[in-house]
Amino acid sequence: MANMIMASTKTLISSSPSLPPTTPKPKFHPHLLPHISLPRFPKLPSLKAAALIAATTASSLSLAPLPSFAEEIEKAALFEFNLTLPIMMAQFLLLMVALDKIYYTPLGKFMDERDAAIKEKLSSVKDTSGEVKQLEEQAAAVIKAVRAEISAALNQMKKETAAEVELKLAEGRRKVEAELQEALSALEKQKEDTTMALDSQIATLSQEIVNKVLPL
Amino acid sequence: MNVLSCSINTLKGLYDISGVEVGQHFYWQIGGFQVHAQVLITSWVVIAILLGSATLVVRNPQTIPTDEEYGSWVPFIGTMFLFIFVSNWSGALLPWKIIQLPHGELAAPTNDINTTVALALLTSVAYFYAGLTKKGLGYFGKYIQPTPILLPINILEDFTKPLSLSFRLFGNILADELVVVVLVSLVPSIVPIPVMFLGLFTSGIQALIFATLAAAYIGESMEGHH
Repeated sequence: MANMIMASTKTLISSSPSLPPTTPKPKFHPHLLPHISLPRFPKLPSLKAAALIAATTASSLSLAPLPSFAEEIEKAALFEFNLTLPIMMAQFLLLMVALDKIYYTPLGKFMDERDAAIKEKLSSVKDTSGEVKQLEEQAAAVIKAVRAEISAALNQMKKETAAEVELKLAEGRRKVEAELQEALSALEKQKEDTTMALDSQIATLSQEIVNKVLPL
Repeated sequence: MNVLSCSINTLKGLYDISGVEVGQHFYWQIGGFQVHAQVLITSWVVIAILLGSATLVVRNPQTIPTDEEYGSWVPFIGTMFLFIFVSNWSGALLPWKIIQLPHGELAAPTNDINTTVALALLTSVAYFYAGLTKKGLGYFGKYIQPTPILLPINILEDFTKPLSLSFRLFGNILADELVVVVLVSLVPSIVPIPVMFLGLFTSGIQALIFATLAAAYIGESMEGHH
């Protein structure tokens, strides 16, 4: 920034024509500082004269060669385009290629591998869900079969036990019937016996009754 | 008349104290051309930082957005952002003043008009390339969208886009450096520190803006045919 100030003041510090030609060395020589000798007037009559003096000084200053001091000050070169521009372009493109190889491509590969692994896992998950359905169906079938077996076995057992029960019942009935028959026949016998006994008693009784009734 | 010599002595004295060197470049000759060597040196340091950290980071993979249609432009935009960001922050954070150059001084490579114009021209080429590869010569139909009356404005846009990109970045970085240097030379100790933080913030944002605008221009020139 100071150089810009120096550069803009360059025109003001040019030497007067009376100075000897400057040395080629770019060093600051204090004794070569410019001295401006104004033309002397007895008085300054008017503004117009002062303006004329200023104009002549300025023109002499601007036309004079620069002193050696000014060689130290470069023009500020902010907008200087040179070979740096294509070199920076080439460097950037090389950097892009290098980063692509080192960073983006391996990462891209890694991302693709990850994507592929995820897709595989997804598809395998879908497959196992089908398998799970199959297994479920098998389980249901097995359960049905087992239930059928159990019910069949139960029915059979029921039948067997029913048959046994009937058998036993029949036996019991027969026994009971037999006993009944025996008892009945015994009763019958007793009845006959008693009737026979009664008959004989009836006969005697009736004889007695007749004897009692008639002899009167 | 010694007034002028006194002022010259004062100016020379101020020049010695201030030590602000703007627009002073360290020149190298390559072939018949000159280059700003301080820009090249600092850009090499930035590139070394980027490549070094990229090799370190790849060991712990992280995520990068992969949108398939614009995926091929990720390296360009990513490198653009990283380069500008690391350049700007290196200019603010790294102690470049330690290395004395014979002429000029080291600073952020983006404080030179050559760097920013180079990046802006690359962006221009990129969005032209994107449009032409996507649409062929039908790309030039965009100049009469939406109405042919806007043709001069659309043509002008092709010049203002790189111009604004380059000067926005250049102006921000150079001005921030100047403000910090002037403040440091005028008011020492902790007063310039908030301005330095502001400089970090704005230079980071400028990197983001540059990369975002580049991506927007590329996307804009690729859109239309879906």
